[in-house]
Amino acid sequence: MDIAKFSQLREILPEDRFMLCYSGYVSESVLEAVGGTLKERLDLHVTEKKKIKVVFSIFVELMQNLIRYGAAGPKGAQIPNEEHAGFGMLMIIEEADNSICLLSGNYVSSEQKLAMESRLEKLLGKSQDELRVLMKDQMRKAPEVQSKGASLGLIEIARRSTKPIEAAFVPAANSQHFFSIKAYV
Amino acid sequence: MSQSLNIAATSRTPEVSFDLEAKAAVIEGECYPEDADKFFTALNSIVDNYFATQNTLALQVKLIYFNSSSARALMELMDSLEQRASQGMSVNVNWFYEEGDDITQEFIEDVVSDYKHLQLSVSPTLG
Repeated sequence: MDIAKFSQLREILPEDRFMLCYSGYVSESVLEAVGGTLKERLDLHVTEKKKIKVVFSIFVELMQNLIRYGAAGPKGAQIPNEEHAGFGMLMIIEEADNSICLLSGNYVSSEQKLAMESRLEKLLGKSQDELRVLMKDQMRKAPEVQSKGASLGLIEIARRSTKPIEAAFVPAANSQHFFSIKAYV
Repeated sequence: MSQSLNIAATSRTPEVSFDLEAKAAVIEGECYPEDADKFFTALNSIVDNYFATQNTLALQVKLIYFNSSSARALMELMDSLEQRASQGMSVNVNWFYEEGDDITQEFIEDVVSDYKHLQLSVSPTLG
């Protein structure tokens, strides 16, 4: 890392607002460690208990998505010494209006991109009531074959987000795509 | 002689304790294991063992937080209790949650309230 680049990071990261970043392999132990830090920091920073719970809830769903769907890493490297982990990035950052923005990103194959797009299609632009019905229906369905989890995480993120969720795919090396998702509390 | 009817809490899974004498059980804590199936398989087998000798259960659910895959597994657990209740077992579920916890409240409204045989009471007094 170039020391000048590191200094530039300061320009895009706020100094006076809540922020937490993680980049790298995500495993259950990372989720636990980062989650513990997040809880402590939120307790100091956010007075509404309900808001803390919703931020934590979206955080858990995002991190578990990274564990399940995170690819072997940007260079296709093997995950070191972890029984179950994925590569991903997470940023939780407070906006000027005091809302908390949660972003996560991970590499996906073209095949995973298609599966993810079809899941997102069912969610984007849906009202809270529609998402609630979708959640209820999905709970009663068998998990999707492509889904290693309960296929419910994305719906849960969309439901709890106080603004419509956003998603993006950016082409990356080795025919992969960098998938990002954004939610607000 | 018999298998344990308890599971100790971890940072991501709740404490589970079934009491044969009191005919009561408690599930208490947070629940967001990455592998929800593994935890709930253990929990379901405790429920099976419990009902092997009992026909009455008063269950207290005191979950501060559970993730989406645990929600599905919890639903399946509640389905199994509802089925036992429909077969003549006496099943009482007392579900405690934190006031303002929409995740739990909506789960109860959308899933648990549909049951017809188990007795449910809900109380926003946790925490």
